[in-house]
Amino acid sequence: MDKNHITKILDDKPLTALSESELAAVRVHIAGCNDCARNFEAAQLSGLLLKERTSEAAQSARNANPFFQTRVLAAWREQQATAGAWSLRRLWNTTGTLISSMVATTAVLAALAFVIPAEESAAQTAALVPSSAESVMLDQGEEEMTNEQALSAIYYDEEAR
Amino acid sequence: MEGWLTRIATNTCLNMLRSAKRRPELVTSDLTEDETAWLEQVSNSIGAPAPDAEQRVIGVDLADKVLETLNPEDRLALTMIDGEGASVNEVAEVTGWSESKVKVRAFRARKKAREVLKQLLGRRQ
Repeated sequence: MDKNHITKILDDKPLTALSESELAAVRVHIAGCNDCARNFEAAQLSGLLLKERTSEAAQSARNANPFFQTRVLAAWREQQATAGAWSLRRLWNTTGTLISSMVATTAVLAALAFVIPAEESAAQTAALVPSSAESVMLDQGEEEMTNEQALSAIYYDEEAR
Repeated sequence: MEGWLTRIATNTCLNMLRSAKRRPELVTSDLTEDETAWLEQVSNSIGAPAPDAEQRVIGVDLADKVLETLNPEDRLALTMIDGEGASVNEVAEVTGWSESKVKVRAFRARKKAREVLKQLLGRRQ
């Protein structure tokens, strides 16, 4: 074996599949053969790279699990909800005083605009109602009187005199 | 049914790989600084504890570059046997190839990958 290079052993099957006797033969050989030592190092690196790539592919396959997307979306929505509540609280902390004073001012203005004028107009209306109703009734009486009735009334007055 | 679907998927992947442009050679200038550093670090400490996540990502990128230099069928055989741990018989069943063809593909792929890496290590040194 020492006189034969080990490249065929390295290329024939994966390093992980080499038997103990084959590995021992390789180690003995590379101790005295620099070229085969480099080949062995390259074969080890090749196996390591393939192992890394396989584990990465397996990790990607696990991540492709449909439940992964569900979990991520649920976590994201929860985070968004928390962030939304937090932003509303922060907004209230900064503008709460201003909004409260605006609401109070609006309430006062509403009271001044609707309640007090309504009381004043009700009092004025109550004072005006008797004369207004009387005049309206008189006006209406005159309008409803026909010409004949008016003439008879006039002549009646004159005859009575 | 399962074997039939697997066969169709495998052939579709092979056709896609065939249509993809294959890089005939990988030289040191094709590597990033990180990949060159990875090669140097790992070759000096083979058998050491597993590298961290960042180093693993660099290793995966480098593995892809090495695999790109291979014929698609050789790449498939190497990935399945040496990477996934499949047997020659299993690869033959999935691909529809004969077992001897699988062995030849895997043999050529190991040799090519080893030569590419040996060349990169040699130029680094």
